This record gives sequence, C-alpha cells and structure tokens, in this order.
Amino acid sequence: MTFERGEVGRIRLHVWPTKRFKTFAVSLYAGIPLDENTVTATALTPFVLRRGTARTPETIAFRERLDEMYGAGFGFDVYKRGDAQIVQFRLDVIHDQFVSSQASLLSAALELLGEVTTDPARDKRGYFLDKYVDAEKNTLQKKLEAIINDKMRYAAERCLEEMCKDEPYRLHPLGQRKDLDALDSASLYAAYRKWLGEACFDLYVVGDTTLEQVQALAAKAFGAGEGQPGRYAFPQLESAGKAPKSIVEEMDVAQGKLNMGLRTHTHYADDDYPAMLMYNGILGGYAHSKLFLNVREKASLAYYAASRLDGHKGLCTIQSGIEFQNYDQASAIIQQQLEAMRQGNLSELEVAQTKAMLTGQLRESQDSAFETIAFDFNTVLSGRNRTAEALIAEIEAVSPSDIVQAASKVELDTIYFLRNRKEAQGGHAKA
Amino acid sequence: MQKLDYPRIKETLYHETLPNGLQVYLLPKPGFQKTYATFTTKFGSVDNWFVADGSKEVKALDGIAHFLEHKMFEEPSGDIFATFASQGAAANAFTSFDRTAYLFSATGQLEENVTTLLDFVQHPYFTDANVDKEKGIIEQEINMYKDNPDWRVYTNLIGAMYQKNSVRIDIAGSVESIRAITKEDLYTCYETFYHPSNMLLFVVGGFDHKQLAELVRSNQQSKTFAPQTTLELKREEEPAAVGEAKVEAILPVSLPKCLFGYKDKQAVKDSMQLQRRDVVTKLLLDTLLGPSSRLYQELYDERLISDGFGYEFNSSLHYGFSIIGGDTRDPDELLRRVTAALEQHARDGLDQQAFERTRRKRIGSYLRLLNSPEAIANEFTRHKFRGGDLFEQLQLLEQVSIAEAEERARLHFDPQQLAISIVSKGSDA
Repeated sequence: MTFERGEVGRIRLHVWPTKRFKTFAVSLYAGIPLDENTVTATALTPFVLRRGTARTPETIAFRERLDEMYGAGFGFDVYKRGDAQIVQFRLDVIHDQFVSSQASLLSAALELLGEVTTDPARDKRGYFLDKYVDAEKNTLQKKLEAIINDKMRYAAERCLEEMCKDEPYRLHPLGQRKDLDALDSASLYAAYRKWLGEACFDLYVVGDTTLEQVQALAAKAFGAGEGQPGRYAFPQLESAGKAPKSIVEEMDVAQGKLNMGLRTHTHYADDDYPAMLMYNGILGGYAHSKLFLNVREKASLAYYAASRLDGHKGLCTIQSGIEFQNYDQASAIIQQQLEAMRQGNLSELEVAQTKAMLTGQLRESQDSAFETIAFDFNTVLSGRNRTAEALIAEIEAVSPSDIVQAASKVELDTIYFLRNRKEAQGGHAKA
Repeated sequence: MQKLDYPRIKETLYHETLPNGLQVYLLPKPGFQKTYATFTTKFGSVDNWFVADGSKEVKALDGIAHFLEHKMFEEPSGDIFATFASQGAAANAFTSFDRTAYLFSATGQLEENVTTLLDFVQHPYFTDANVDKEKGIIEQEINMYKDNPDWRVYTNLIGAMYQKNSVRIDIAGSVESIRAITKEDLYTCYETFYHPSNMLLFVVGGFDHKQLAELVRSNQQSKTFAPQTTLELKREEEPAAVGEAKVEAILPVSLPKCLFGYKDKQAVKDSMQLQRRDVVTKLLLDTLLGPSSRLYQELYDERLISDGFGYEFNSSLHYGFSIIGGDTRDPDELLRRVTAALEQHARDGLDQQAFERTRRKRIGSYLRLLNSPEAIANEFTRHKFRGGDLFEQLQLLEQVSIAEAEERARLHFDPQQLAISIVSKGSDA
C-alpha cells in the first residue's frame, strides 16, 4: 500500500488507488501555527464554511445536495497537533458502482469541498453572511462552555492547560470564548482569507481512482492557485519544573479524576520515538499494562487507568477515575509505575505483549481508509518519512535498554485532581 | 458450510449451525489485514427473570449480565487480556439491553486468537475472592456514568417511559445491587445463557473460511455441554402508558440537556414486522428531524438546538421507543415545537421529495457501514438475534413506501405516549 503524491498549486495531493472499500474517502487538512491571536477565528471558520457555498448559499439546499449524493458523510474537526492548529474536512462518498448515479460522486465530492473551502456564501459586500456568523458564534460558544459537561475530557484538558501554561499548546483547539464577541462577518472573512493564504493544505483521497484523475479534479475544484505547498514548523518541547505542579479543583462530581502530565522530550521525528511508543504501551496503553494491572486489577481503585502518548508535542498523559479518599493511594501507585519504568523493571512478557499490540494496531489501521490517511499525515506533520511497515520494523527492533533509555527522559510535570467540594464533607459554610 | 451470496453489496457470507447449536458466520474480506471476531450470547440487561435448570425461577439482581461480562476475563491462569496481548490481539466486551458480546481484533495468529475467544467464554471461573474484588471496579464504572450527563438524561428517560419492562434497568446495575451479587448467582446465569445454542460466533476479515470453519468445528467437538433445555424467559406485563411524563435531575452542565420520546403502545407480532417498523421509523425520524429538514434549520436558527441534536429509535419484540433531543436553552419550548411538528406531520403526511432524498441518504450510510468490520459483526449479530438479516436491510430500505411511513407517524407520534427527561444545573447555580 502506498500513497501516490502530487501537487496542485499550494495543495499537496496524496492518493491511494484501491478497490478495497465501498466508498471514496476524502480528507483535506489545513494547518497553521497555534496562536492566541488567531486560534478562535480559525476555529470558527469551518463552522461558517459548512453553512453554504456561493453556488448553494442556503444551508437547507446545501445539505440537500449532500443528501442527493447518497448522504455524503461530510464533517469537519478542529484539533491541535504539535504547535499547529489543524482544520480537517472529511467526505465519504459511495463508489458509483453500488448506486445508480449519473454523475461521478468523487467528482461531485471534490467540487463541493472546493466550493466549501474557497468559494463560500458571501453577502453584497463580499463578506460572510451575518446570519451564519452569528449563529455559528453561538454554536462555538456553546461547545466551549460544554467542555465541562464531560468530566473525563474536562480533566484531561485542564491538566494540559495547567501543564503548558506558558506555551501555545495551552490553548483549546476551539479557541477562547472571550475572543468571540469581537468577531463579525467582516473581521472573520478577513481572517479566513489570511488563513486560506497561509495554511498548509494536504488533500487525501482513498478509493478506486488514480493520482491523475484526482489531480485534474482538484485543479478544477480548488483552482490552480499560486505558490508552493507550506511546511509545518517543528514544535517547542519544554522541560518540567524542578518539582511536579499539583493542581486540585473542586466540583459537584461523584467520581474523582486523577490525571498526570509528563514530558517525554521525544518527537515523532526522533529515532527513539518507537522506544517511547513502547514506554507508553508498557506503562498504560493497554489492558495488560502496568497502570491497568496495578491501579485497577490489583488495587480495585479504578475502572479506567491508562496513559496516552502525544508524539507531536512530546507529551504523555495519564488518566484515571477514583474515589476521592483514594487520591494518595492511587497517586502513589501510579508514581511507583513511573519509577518501575525508570528502573527498567520490565518483564520479557510485557515487552513482547506490547510489541504485538502496537504492531497489530498499525497493521489494522490499513483496513480503514481514514485511519490510513491519519497515519500518513504524521509524515507530513513531522517531516519524517515513515511508512506503517517501517514503524513496525522499528518497534520490533526496540530493546529493553532502549525503553529504559526512553524512560530516563520522561519527567512528571503536573498532577491534576478533580474532586468533590470539601464543604459538603467538612461542614464549612458556603459564602 | 452454507454459502450466502449478496451480489448487490458484493459480499459472500458462510454459515453453519454446529451440532451443539452454536451459530457460526464467517465473512471473508479479501485484502484485509485484520480479523475481527465477536462471540455473543443472547443475554442482556433485560433478561433478568427466567427459569433455570428447567424448574427454578430466578429473578436476577440488576447489572448481573454486565458483572458476568467483567468476570469472564479471569481464568485460573490469570487475566485473559494478557493472553490476547501475547497473541497481538486487542480484546474487549460489551453488554447491551439484549446481548453480551466478547470480541477481539488482530492481524495475526488467527487460529490461536479464535481458540482463546471460544475457550475463555466457555470456561467460567468465579471465586468468592475474585467476585468481591470486581465490585470495587464496577462501582467506579457506575460512578463514572453517574457523572456523565448524557448517560443520565438518556437512562432517566427510559426509566420514565417504562414502568415494569426490564429495559428500564441500568445495564451496569446500581452500587447496591452489584454488592449483593455472589459467585453462585453468576454461575446460574452463565449456565442458563451461555449454552452454545444461545450463542453466535461472527468472524470477518482476510482469512480462508474453510480452514477457520474446521478449527471452530473441532474446538466445539472437543467440549461437552449439558443437553440443551428450552430457555424460558419471563417478562413483566408493561402497561401501555408511560410511567412518568417528566423527570429531572441536577448535574453541573453548561446548558440543560433534554431528551424526550414516544413509547410504542403496541408490540410487534413477529420479527418481520419488527424489522420493518425499525427501518420505517428511522427513515421517518430522519426525514422530519435530519439536518437538512426545515424543522432542524428553524430550531437551529432560533438557537433551540445545536450540533448535538439527535434522534434514535430503539426496539425489540417487547418494547419500542424513540429518543429525540440534545442541549437546549429551553427544554419546554423545544419539546413543544418538535412534538407539534411531528404530530402535524402525523395528520398531514410527508413531503415526497424529502422522503426520497432521505431514503438515498440512508442507503449511503448503510453502504458506508459495510466498510467497517466491527460494525458488520456487531450489527449482523444484533439483527440475527432479532430474527433479521443485516445484509437484507438494503432491500428493505428500497421497499418501504411513504404511505407506510405516514401510517407509522400516525401510530407513533401519540401525545399520550410522550415522556421527557431533563438534566440541568438547577436553580441555585
């Protein structure tokens, strides 16, 4: 399996011609540096773009157009990777052979995506429509306010925010509520034009097609455009302070959330990234990992206790849900596991199990068009060319001493605990 | 094995019923790296009243199917996750209203992994100590859901609609009910519901079906099972009316969460009718409430709904209910607007164009689902347990008429059958 690569103006093209799927999977990534001054406008932009295009300005008609294409799965996402804020548009359309469609659905899909990104609905002044900007500001505001609703996610976000207080990475990919008031159809349109001119664009297509066909369709849909595709900058990898920061927050919750943030000093592009993947896998990536076994299975303290590696920012995060009074015990058990990793307390079995799981996952990802795309996009982001097969081989070659070496680089930066309100227990009067 | 061809969707399925009653379905996907397998028993949270051993009537404690799912992963040799991990397989399990599924996905060691799956699910190992230890873990799982407002508003609604039907019981049970569960209770449920004749194995991926079928056959032949007895399930008689028209709960949320829905009065008479009702109701809801509908756009423009607005229809031979809603600034107004529109369509009918467009959209999402081995295995099993066939859903989708959808609207959107559930932060916040 290989992507064929090309370019159309400032857009890099990545095409995997395959008959394996019943659909064409299309993904467009647009990334710019994560920055306090642009984060909110950039986040708001795709919300407004999805409302309608110059050709089909009314939202209902625009969505009917998608329905007519056998319910093209159209969506977008805004997230951060490394120090970049990335807007991803996705389209998933049925291969024409399964349905009685007159026009090529791939062609229709790219045409639509081109319109959405480069030719949105505009008013007489040439700006976005006020009614869309107002409505989507409201939607984005609700989304930002709703982060608190899901306590698992909230705790994870808060831990990162505290840990990366002095870095752009503290910013939520959906932006900041306080910036929304200042955005209107004119200022947002100006921000959008700037974004369109500066972002790195990568268009992926997986399905029964060819690079030549996509090249021709993309040139028509997006316009040839001037210039060269952009490159992603290498992120800052910060160090932890002398002692871990400890943050406790109170809320009306039934379960405590104990999260930790670690600095790994290892980037996806680094040679020891596969060793760090092994570190995370043995520590908390799986149901056979140290965190699951010791926090859940041995001590019965939690239902979930796991860790996650972020190779683009050099972070590893730990999350667990516990009884409030078990904080000290759970925190100690988790830190014992970190120490065990540093001491090289690794069994042959857990190394073998973790290799099998990591390589299995990588092989499996190739059965999903969108997962294959997401994996390949790591290459674009990091500048390190690495196929799934190559990463599998690198993981197979990791030795226990490589893992201990990786562990020696890991620093505990932040401990975050979300708990219930102490007043309820201690009897302090509420002001 | 019986070969079942589905030319419309370009799939070929192999099926066999083994002598011990186990249903085996194999779906080869040439070119796929991974194999995904589910081994599922028709035992879910609703199956809590039954006759065990042909004589003893049992009313099981809430959450027992889910507790059993947790405990199956422990063997005398240790945790089964570790065995799967050594074989490069990611294993998991889930319990729903109507079934408990054990599953793995892997790209190698297919024979070892399928054998492990069959063997661990067919070998219960419960001790007083290991049952007791699990209680702390499940308690934390229950607490995790207590803090989840989406889950709370959802289960509260079902609890409001149903007075007796066991669908109202939380799948994980309560902290109190799971504390009372003993290893004897688990063995009773295991012996009643985990007989091969009550189970289905589905494997999908890039394998050779003949070899795999032989492996499953010989694995099952080497084990002995008690003779199959007829499984007698008992169910409470459910009154037609909803239990409570409105329920509210308080949690720290940014905006009120509001779900409401209609409870079907009449049960369907057989699985044919069940499947058809399912397809028609989903098409109907999608036509009237989907993101390209007039109503959706109006509500969105008035800021009564946001991106999270959604709807679904849940059903079995013993219940059927819709769930509609999301986050809203004004639950009562949202309820009023949506029900007024639905009930008006029940009187005036549907727009032909919108109906046909929605049909296209649903055909597209059905075909997209077939890209996913996980979705195929899970949905196939779900349909099979209800007496249906996932691979015939396309035909059904193409067949149903607008007249049927209109008839369904008249029956389902009955204001007498409406219940609403709200989760908000309360008045003092």
